[in-house]
Order: sequence, then C-alpha cells, then structure tokens
Amino acid sequence: MRLIEGPLMPGLIAEVIAGSGGSHDTGAHALFLGQVRRDRIDGRFVKAIEYSAYEEMVIMEANKISKTILSEFEDVRAFEILHSRGMVKAGETALLVIVSAGHRQQALAACGKAVDLINERLPVWKKELFEDEPDL
Amino acid sequence: MEITVLFFGILADATGLNAKSYNGIDSFDDLRHRMEDDFPGIFHYNFRIAVNRVITEDNPVLKDGDEVACLPPFAGG
Repeated sequence: MRLIEGPLMPGLIAEVIAGSGGSHDTGAHALFLGQVRRDRIDGRFVKAIEYSAYEEMVIMEANKISKTILSEFEDVRAFEILHSRGMVKAGETALLVIVSAGHRQQALAACGKAVDLINERLPVWKKELFEDEPDL
Repeated sequence: MEITVLFFGILADATGLNAKSYNGIDSFDDLRHRMEDDFPGIFHYNFRIAVNRVITEDNPVLKDGDEVACLPPFAGG
C-alpha cells in the first residue's frame, strides 16, 4: 500500500504495471483505476477532490485487506494498492488496484473484492471543491 | 491520564483541528464530556471511534497515552 501526494500520474501507473510482470507463473493482471468525476451537486460542478487519510491506520487496514484477498483467492500471486492524498482534479486518477494471479477469473474477482474492501475499510475521506470556488 | 484525540474528514472541519490533547482524563465518558464542552454538538455527527488505530465499541477502556481517533464514514476510492 502506498499513499501518493496528488494524482496518480500515467508514468507512475505504467511503472506499477511494469513491476507486476516478473513472475512466470502469473497469467493475468486485473487493474482498477478510480478517477475523480466532475459530479454535479446542487447545481455546482466538482473540479477536484481533496483526500485526507489516517495514515497509520490506512497501512494497517491495507495489510488486513491484503491478507483477506490472499487467503480467499489462492490463485492470487501479488496485490498492490496506491491511493492519493491531497488534491486530485476531475479526470485524474486517485486509486490504483492491481491484482496478479495465475488465471483471469481469480484476478478479476479479487480485484473487485479489493476495491469494495478499500471503499468500506480504508480510513480515507474526501472533500469536494467546486468550479465556482477559488483555488486553494 | 493524557489522551490525544484526532479528528478526520468533516470533523476536522467542524472542530477546526486535526488533533487535541486532553490531560487528567479518567475514563472515556470523562473524555466525551470534555469534548462536548469544547465542541458542542460534536456527538451528533455520525462517526466511529478508534483507539490506537483499532475501531472499538462505544465506551472503550482508555489508558494513559492512548490515541483516540474520530472517524466519519470512510470515502476512499
């Protein structure tokens, strides 16, 4: 688990994907990217989200999520989470989950489960910033 | 005992603080009253309590040096 200041930039995402390819008994990588939406809330458009996190607990909870995934999906070989903290603009990426497994079924299922657990258990909060507000 | 209270998400905005230290606390109930005095209405917010990064029951037993975190609903991803 890594908390990254600001958005997850394409170069970093590419590095994480490239770093997942080493094991020869891996046949599938499932990747989830969470992106900030330009939601409309009460007539105002979201221009960015500021993420805050309880960092020590994020690391503890991410380790628990990792153990859950590795014990429930025995075909999973590797698992990585990156989450932003601080400001991420609409259209930018704030979450990456990559699961590597022997075969695609478990890679896809484990990735979906991991994203659900992250949403449920990771102590991360977001605050919307709107287009009609000045930049911080 | 001395207890550090951490505020996250909407509670950091509501209190204007990320953290506050309380001295001379003898129980969670005592801490709760002191927090209510400092931040009237805080316990009307929806949040859970973690003691030393573990989510606990409503009335945890505290010891000197504990870190009590106030955690509004999570919104990661």
